[in-house]
Formats: sequence, structure tokens, C-alpha cells
Amino acid sequence: MADSYSPNSEPTTRTLLRRVLDTADSRSPRRRLSVRAGTQRTLPETRLSWRLRSQTKPTTKRRSHGTRSPGRPAHSQARRHLEEQTPRTLFQNILRTAPESSILKPESTGKPVPAPTAAQPPRRESSRSSLELQLPELEPSTSPAPALLAPGRRKQRVRLSMFERQVDQGQPVAQEPQETADASSLTSSLNLNFATPLQPQSVKRPGLARKPPPRRAVDVGLLLQDLRDASFAPTGNSLRTSVTTVPTDTALEDTQPFSQPLVSHSPAVPHFLPHPSHNENEDAERTVSHRTQSSQLGLQSDELQPWPAATPEVTEAVGSQDAAEAEELDVPSGEEDPSDSTAGPEMASSNPRSLQAEQPPLFSEPPPRPDATLRSSQAVPARPPPRHRAAGHRPRPDPYKTGLNHYTKLFRFYAKMPMEKAALGMVEKCLDKYFHRLCDDLEVFAAHAGRKTVKPEDLELLMRRQGLVTDQVSLHVLVERHLPLEYRKLLIPCAFSGNSVFPAQ
Amino acid sequence: MALSNTVSQKAKLKRKAPRSFLKRVFKRQKPHLRLEARGDLLVHLNCLLFVHRLAEESRTNACENKCGVINKDHVLAAAKVILKKSRG
Repeated sequence: MADSYSPNSEPTTRTLLRRVLDTADSRSPRRRLSVRAGTQRTLPETRLSWRLRSQTKPTTKRRSHGTRSPGRPAHSQARRHLEEQTPRTLFQNILRTAPESSILKPESTGKPVPAPTAAQPPRRESSRSSLELQLPELEPSTSPAPALLAPGRRKQRVRLSMFERQVDQGQPVAQEPQETADASSLTSSLNLNFATPLQPQSVKRPGLARKPPPRRAVDVGLLLQDLRDASFAPTGNSLRTSVTTVPTDTALEDTQPFSQPLVSHSPAVPHFLPHPSHNENEDAERTVSHRTQSSQLGLQSDELQPWPAATPEVTEAVGSQDAAEAEELDVPSGEEDPSDSTAGPEMASSNPRSLQAEQPPLFSEPPPRPDATLRSSQAVPARPPPRHRAAGHRPRPDPYKTGLNHYTKLFRFYAKMPMEKAALGMVEKCLDKYFHRLCDDLEVFAAHAGRKTVKPEDLELLMRRQGLVTDQVSLHVLVERHLPLEYRKLLIPCAFSGNSVFPAQ
Repeated sequence: MALSNTVSQKAKLKRKAPRSFLKRVFKRQKPHLRLEARGDLLVHLNCLLFVHRLAEESRTNACENKCGVINKDHVLAAAKVILKKSRG
């Protein structure tokens, strides 16, 4: 097999490789030495053949044995360069030309033969071969275990393209350590390269990644400053222009795959910002400002989950330029008409403030909030409410109402009957009173037990006194009935293997 | 390997408890007290049951008045009863 140009058994890839090798001769002059010896050619050949073709084991063994042992001491340096440069290009050529499907008898027996021979070049070879094989698994390890090789080969077929990419990545870096000719450094450098391809994989599947990277903090600060500095009051134009100047940068910067969802999602929040001056300005301005503002503000919010629900309604509202439509679309609107008109200026003023100060809770709030304020703010003159923003924010009403809204929606669901908007306000008041009472009771119970921390036992006692927990119905039963599985797991102690109980008692 | 195939998917809770909201409410009310980690889940459970009872009662009230829609008065009357019941 050391003879050149004699296609012995499998003609295709081997002849191809030979051709490639011959063409690659020009790279290193030292190649000639190896050509004469013929060993080195067979070495990459054998490696490649292991990867790409199935050959008889004994032949490979023989080849490897015969080639490795004499070749090593003689042409160590030459081989170093040869094997470090050409095999990669060889592989690339092979990958382009040779059929990838023709694998794979696990030639693991052949592999450990070079590996245990502890000289540097074979280690390099083996490391490289191991790297080649293990690249698909993206496991950088210098010593190829035969166990790894077998499964690795199965994946070679699939991962060859990946390997090519990795090789391309690894090539510019690996060329440096070639000069050092240090196996460990080479492998380590290559190993480092192989670690990075993990990221591109995730980028290749943008649909699977959930959230955009949270790197908008600086822009948030800029936006907040701009919002505060800019004179909101008289002209929404000034506000919008001042805000647009900042977000345009971020909008341009935002080249992530989520740029579009963000842009589409985010118009909800700044909706109420331009809406006070909604009527005065052109639609184009509005939409542009919406998008830029929203892209800016949407970037701030890490919670995109509420948005998909909000977006169809909000985008329609933007397009329809009528907040009433948005309100109609938005089913679970918790606002009443009378309370809206009265709370309108309050909401409009408090909303931008809360926008500045507490965006996450506001963002987590479903659209009824901005839509309701939109309706109300349209009725009320827009100028005074934006001025209140500078006075400072009142965080309490909004996040509080947000949380209450959550239970109001549940009320609506449990009632199963159409309800008036006034009734929902009534429900909110009841909930408010209920929370007050709940806290008082819990305080009393904890004090009775001599504690300053309210524990689940206090809660259970409360429910017992309320008549929810009886001798027939225990707390666990209620938990199982009404709470989702994740919470049930947290609340109800369950025995696990190893004599452990979770949650611990 | 796990990398290419799986992306860890957090199961989306359909009925999430607003834990931070509950904690914040409790802190605002009683800043000198502390609420335990799992306590807020039970508080959420309590709220669910309260709302459930309230809804049932108001629905009963509305049906008694032979209204197809739940009114403010129905809710008010229901609230009086239920709040009294859940006095603790």
C-alpha cells in the first residue's frame, strides 16, 4: 500500500486522495520526502479511509503498523507540517468531492494502534484523528478512547459539514501552533475552536432560542434619560423626535433574529405615550415613532411572552388608529368606562412614569392597561398628563392593579356569565379588602405562634378557619385540585429515592 | 449529544401565580413580617378559592334576579357574604 498511484482495493476515494495529495505537494517542500517514503501519504490516507471508507481491519492495521513505526522517527518534522496542513485541506476536498455516505465500519481497532504509541507525531496524528472523529461530538479530548470512536463515527456522516465549518474555524487558529509544533498546544487550540461552534448552532435555530440577549441596559438608561430630559409636555412631536433619535441607533443595532418580533411586539407599551398627542400628528410619524419607541422599549422588556397575546390587538390598534378598536379586540379589559374617565389622566400620567420606573411589571401587564388609558386619554386633553411624569412615579397603583387584574380575570372565568365592567371594579375592591384582611390574619397567627415569619402552617390555619380546609378536605386535596403540577410538587412533600423527601420538612 | 438536539424547554405554566406581586403586597402591608418561600403559593391558593367562592355567589345572585348578566349589585352582595365568611 505504500506504493503510489496503484489503486489497490477501493479505487474511488483512495485515488482521489492520492490525486489530492499530489496536487497538495506544492505546499511544503518537505512533502517530497514523505512522498518518497510513501508512509505519510498512507497515514492520512488511512485516517481518511477510516473515516470515509470501510476497509478491512487487518489491512489497516498492517498499514498503520508498517507506516507508523518507520515513518515516525524519520520524517517527524516533515510529517508534522504535512499532516498539519494537508489533511485539513484534504478533508475539505474530500468533503466536497467524496460521497459522504460511504462509511463506516468502526475501525476502532485501527485507531488505538497509533494512539498508544506515545511519540509526539503519532500523538498529534491520533489527536487530530481523534479530533476529527470527535469533532462531530464536539468533545475536545486528546486521547481518543475507542469507545468514543465508534459512536463518533456514526455521526460523522451527519456532522461532516459541521466538521468542515469547524475546520475552517480551526484552520486560521491552528496554523499558528503549527509553527510551535506542539501537539498539546495544537490540540488545545483546536479544542478551543471546537468549543465555540456550540454557539453557532443555537444561532442556526433562531426559533428555538427564547429570549434575545439581555444587552440593552445601556440603551435603557439612555432612553430613560431622554425621556426624562425631553420636554414631554407641549408637543408630542418633540417627545417623539427626542425618543426617536435614540432608539434608531438601537433599532439599527438590533440585528438579532428577534429584531422583527421585538418591533412587532413592542408597540404596545409606547402606545400610550404618543397617543395623547395622537390626534394631532400624522400617521406616518406615529407609526415610525411607535416602531422606534417600541423597539427601544421592547428591547428593555425581557418578557416577550405577554406580547404575543398583545401584539395582534396592539398592531391592529396601531393600524386602525383608533384605540376603541383596540379595546374591543382586547377581551379581558379590566377597566370600566366611568372609572376610566376619572382615572384617565391619572393613568396616563402614571403610566409613563411607571414606564420609566418600572417597566417589567408594566410590561408583564396585559394590554388592557394601555388601551384603557388610551381611550380615556383621548377624551381628556393630553397635555397635563404627560407633565406629571416629572413629578415622580407612584409605583403602587399600577403593579397593584396589575396583580388584581390577574385575579379579576380569574373571577371572570369562574363566573361563566357575562359581566358588566362595573362589576369588575367591584371585584377589585373586594380583592383589595381581602388582601388587607389576609395580611392581618396572618400577622395575628404568626404572632400567636411567637414567630415573625409567616409559615405555611399559618396559612393552613387560616384556611381552616375560613372553612376551606375541613376534616374531610385537607390542604393537600385543595392544592391538588386548584394548583398546577409545578406548584403541587413544591407544596406537597413527596418521597424520592435515596431516603429523601422533597420538599424537606 | 445533547447540544444539537435539545433546547431546554421550560414548561409554560398556564395558571401562573403572581408570586412577586403577592410578596410585594405582603411586604407593603406588613413590612415587619416575613413571608416564606412556599407561603405565597398558599396565599395564591387562598385567593383562588376566594375568587371562586365570590364568583359562585355572584352568579347565584344574578340567577336569582333572573339577570343574564352579573351586575355590580350582585357582586356587592356576594362580596359581603363571602368576606364575612372568610374572616378567619
